[in-house]
Amino acid sequence: MIEFHNVSKEYSRDVYALRDVSLSIAPGELIFLAGPSGAGKSTLLKMIAGVERPSSGTVSVNGQDIGKLKAGSLPYLRRKLGLILQEQKLLLDRSVLANVMLPLVVTGASGAEAENRARTALEKVSLADKAHALPQALSGGEQQRVAIARAIVNRPQIILADEPTAFLDRDNANKVLSALKAFQSAGVTCIISSHDEQFLDKASRVIYLSNGVITDSWHSAIAA
Amino acid sequence: MRVWFRQHLFALKSAWSHLSVSPGNFLFNVLVVAIALALPIAGLTLIENVRPISSQLSIEPEISVFLQPATARADATALSVPLKKMLKDANVSARVNFVTKDKALAAIEETSSLAEVLSTLGGNPLPDAYVISLSNTDAARVDSVAQQLKTLPNVDVVQVDSAWVKRLAALVQVLQLSLLFLAVTLAVVVIVVVFNATRLQVISHQAEITVAKMLGATNSFIHRPYYYTGAMLGLLAGSTALGMIALSLQPLNQAIAEFAKLYASEFHLIPLGLLPSAALLAISTILGLCGAFLSVRRQLARAN
Repeated sequence: MIEFHNVSKEYSRDVYALRDVSLSIAPGELIFLAGPSGAGKSTLLKMIAGVERPSSGTVSVNGQDIGKLKAGSLPYLRRKLGLILQEQKLLLDRSVLANVMLPLVVTGASGAEAENRARTALEKVSLADKAHALPQALSGGEQQRVAIARAIVNRPQIILADEPTAFLDRDNANKVLSALKAFQSAGVTCIISSHDEQFLDKASRVIYLSNGVITDSWHSAIAA
Repeated sequence: MRVWFRQHLFALKSAWSHLSVSPGNFLFNVLVVAIALALPIAGLTLIENVRPISSQLSIEPEISVFLQPATARADATALSVPLKKMLKDANVSARVNFVTKDKALAAIEETSSLAEVLSTLGGNPLPDAYVISLSNTDAARVDSVAQQLKTLPNVDVVQVDSAWVKRLAALVQVLQLSLLFLAVTLAVVVIVVVFNATRLQVISHQAEITVAKMLGATNSFIHRPYYYTGAMLGLLAGSTALGMIALSLQPLNQAIAEFAKLYASEFHLIPLGLLPSAALLAISTILGLCGAFLSVRRQLARAN
């Protein structure tokens, strides 16, 4: 479903975010991208979302070469993805429900449909009672779960989460990961980047990156 | 179609919510644009009021031949034969119209406040006259013909009427051209003001735009609210400018009425009609839209 063939990303001379990365991710997998800060985890996720283009190699999603996609086609790719990226904060000037509805509003769904599906998504992350609250009234963990609800409201095939448990305490981090695991169980491919290695046993596969290179990859025996 | 309509409605709501966050800024920009628009609108109002006066008057050279008041009607009408012969000999193409003293008086009574004055004199003091409308005739020949007409019997005064009309028509033309240059310059000002206002809005909404793009928003979806804001700014500014001009006409007309009385005339400025006003509103809206369009595209291209 997602394939990287000899993908490199060079920002400036001899400054590589990714070097010659090749990997294949099957539908329904829960993948952890592990590694220290600056390993290239975020860049890898952004390439799948078309936010970054490879300097060389090909990235394909469901057979479509992302690097060759025109700018006008990228929105339609992203509508099939559930993105929880670090730049994607909740919008503070509107309610939790309005935030979760946004992906549906963007695609032109009716107000009633968008609201119904947003409420359903909030129920899945156990935040239905916070629908009319403003994001700043929520805890860090709750905000992250709202971000997950926003990511899944469009029923994506793939969820990309960049450090979803960063700055969360253990309890909230577990809740966030449990929510993602639940979606993966429903057949959604989840790719999560995290430098927190305590959660690696929840993944079906772990890909370890260091200095832009895949240094290790294993299937989790416990998750399997 | 429904999706299109929903997305435009969302864009309109977004634009409105952006404005309501800082209404002061928006209204200030409306005022600036309104002032810029008011100048050409004021000029257009003036021209539209003066144009009917100019167009009602013939700009063809006209010679009025006033006969002596005591001339008998039969002698007056008989004069048309030598008069027309004189014009033919001078190779001049003209329409000759005999205006009796009664017709002249009736015309004055209809159009001028002099009627009351004339009625106090008792009787009709006006003479019979011939009005000669010349076509394709240069000024020198008009003067030559006028000199010859003075030699006809029973002719009292020969008056060449068209000079000041030509001057008025030329002045109106100059005003129109000046107004066009002014309008173009100020249209650029309007676009620049809206451009800058939109640029600041886009910068302040950068986080929201980033999120929307990540969620699959197309460029059209992102741009639309700003287009609506620009169009609203233009429309509101145009309305404000038209309102300002209409309001300013009232005190101005009072002063004009006093001035016109001195010339035994009634003249006042009226606001622009419905059609010109609607056209101006459409233009101001389009200018606002242009400014927003240029700004959004440039700003978001730079951000990409």
